[in-house]
Amino acid sequence: MRAGLLVLFVLLVEWSRASIAQQPRLALPALLVGGAALAASAIGWPAERLGLGTSRFGLRILGGLALGAVLVLPAAARSSAVPLLPAGLAVAAVAVSVGEELAFRGALYAALEELGGAPVAVLGSTLLWTLAHVLSHPPEFLGAVAAAGLLLALWRWACRDLVAPILGHVIADLAL
Amino acid sequence: MAVAALLYAVAAWTVAPGFYDGFGPPQPYNWTCPPSQAGANSPPSSGHLTIKVIDGVSDANSAFTDDGQLVIGFLPGAFVVDGKSSITVDVKPLGSCPEPAGLRFVTNIYQVTASASLDPQKAANLVLRYSNLEPDPSNVYTATDPAGPWSAMARSQQGQPFTIETRTTRFGYFAAGYPASAPPPGAVTIGGGQALPIIAAILVAVVVLAGLPLAVMRRREKRTQR
Repeated sequence: MRAGLLVLFVLLVEWSRASIAQQPRLALPALLVGGAALAASAIGWPAERLGLGTSRFGLRILGGLALGAVLVLPAAARSSAVPLLPAGLAVAAVAVSVGEELAFRGALYAALEELGGAPVAVLGSTLLWTLAHVLSHPPEFLGAVAAAGLLLALWRWACRDLVAPILGHVIADLAL
Repeated sequence: MAVAALLYAVAAWTVAPGFYDGFGPPQPYNWTCPPSQAGANSPPSSGHLTIKVIDGVSDANSAFTDDGQLVIGFLPGAFVVDGKSSITVDVKPLGSCPEPAGLRFVTNIYQVTASASLDPQKAANLVLRYSNLEPDPSNVYTATDPAGPWSAMARSQQGQPFTIETRTTRFGYFAAGYPASAPPPGAVTIGGGQALPIIAAILVAVVVLAGLPLAVMRRREKRTQR
């Protein structure tokens, strides 16, 4: 029940955000409000169940930097440069990436893990993450989106950590 | 995780620019002359608009290319109608990519023509979309001939991400870019070519090296708790 409601809420927020962001001058508010709404889905979960914590913090940060670099690398390799997001969108990018990680690899992952264990959590959160990006991305990008989701979910499972996926996602969104 | 990282690298490599989270342009840019890093390319579109003239005043309307890469909006009465009953506006991408000295264009060059001239008091709003494969442009440039000379236009406040806006009181050729003498805005070079496969391998290794001890320690902790 809780997992089902979470899925509905998160997908609704993501699809609304993507639709509203297409409207002239509404992109920034849509990203900021959408990011906050996604983050709200983690309310009520203990930090440890979300993969948040301070133990082995150095390794978590190092992992986040590495995940970010891997996510940005294909684009950097194509253009021999890291294209940077326009400064005005930086705050929105941080809000959305933190919100998405708290929602998908945080609350949804925890709810799905309760439901069917780690395989359901990894595959389910990846599938939902890909579905959530259907409206904001052209179809040909969804393979890369799914693969990024799988990588982040596998890190979440293997290391029981959400700090690195958050940091990696923030780096990737600031760059692209 | 290493396999997932490699899977991602392959998946992201097949589409430009790879992973992005919806902040980039909603669709890939259609290039006249695609840069080497672009993936599959479709040719850019043209656009046509007929504006009604009612009681000697032209209607408000917008002309745009079918792919939305150029939009030009006109205010009511923007045209000097001279007894016409309608005004036609055409937008066409130039079939070639001239590179004027001292300038670096990051969009196609578009020719905008109309069957009447603009009222200098009612400037048209021109929006050019650009790709995130290229650095952000600093200005829209205009010329009466693609060979130049090109002049920079005053930039309006940015509306949508990855668009640049300006206002114009005449038609001609338009493109967005930046002075070639200036460093490209918004790009940090990290090296390219032969170093990249090595960097890729190192990064994948770092993910595993950072993740492995963390994973082992976290699972040991869990086992101890049990």
